[in-house]
Amino acid sequence: MKARRDVYQAIADPTRRAIINMIAAQPHNVNAIAEQFDMTRQAISLHVKILTDCGLLKIKQRGRDRFCEAQLDQLSEVSAFVDQYRQHWESKLDAMETYIEKLKKERYGK
Amino acid sequence: MRWKPTLRNLKKRDMENKKSSTHDRELVISRTLNAPVELVWEVWTNPEHNAKWWGPDGFTNTISTMDVTPGGEWNLVMHGPDGTDYINKSIFREILPFKKIVYEHISYPWILATITFEARGEQTFINWHMLFESAEQFMQVVKTYKADAGLKQNIEKLAVYVSEMNAKSKS
Repeated sequence: MKARRDVYQAIADPTRRAIINMIAAQPHNVNAIAEQFDMTRQAISLHVKILTDCGLLKIKQRGRDRFCEAQLDQLSEVSAFVDQYRQHWESKLDAMETYIEKLKKERYGK
Repeated sequence: MRWKPTLRNLKKRDMENKKSSTHDRELVISRTLNAPVELVWEVWTNPEHNAKWWGPDGFTNTISTMDVTPGGEWNLVMHGPDGTDYINKSIFREILPFKKIVYEHISYPWILATITFEARGEQTFINWHMLFESAEQFMQVVKTYKADAGLKQNIEKLAVYVSEMNAKSKS
């Protein structure tokens, strides 16, 4: 069975993030992507495959060329959860703020 | 001009962005607190006070060690509402009284936290920077948090469902 891929795994790798950046601006074919990196074509193909499996990239056939297009909808899910996680830390500051107010009242009665 | 993502440009950008090359594995929050820095520092560094606000809503904390000196240990156990204990072991790395605290959270997940305090008269600006080990680990933490949040939502949904069922069976 194939390991389940997800969007978090996709963007955890710097090369894959660079590929997403590239194709987000405009679709590129796989060769054009491979040319930009100091890696073998096979390595890039694997990254493209992972991005496809994660639903961040769609390959479109145009004549003899295969173009990679970015599918960015899923990224908003990630940023929503990063925001929620940030909120988890913000709530620490909330609790600290509330506690300070309580302490000030106890000490200075104001 | 549009930025062209050639390898050279990517490398150049990485170099220019050295400052923010950690952007994919960090979290920064800040706030102006309505108290002088001496009080904020005390509330942060005194275990009696720290235990009162650390940890998520509904949690209580037990601090067994809090040695706020460079190399000093900070051992805190968070007790979850369901009785689960979460062990948090950290080591203080840098202490500048009323200015800066750097601690390394050595239990999972590894975090290097830098908290700076800026006195602004009767107020204090606090900046909290958390650096995770890697983008992978940061994503893992976010994912786990997402899973926990999802689980919590499911339990809440289940509770609502069960209480609705109860109401129905009684009526």
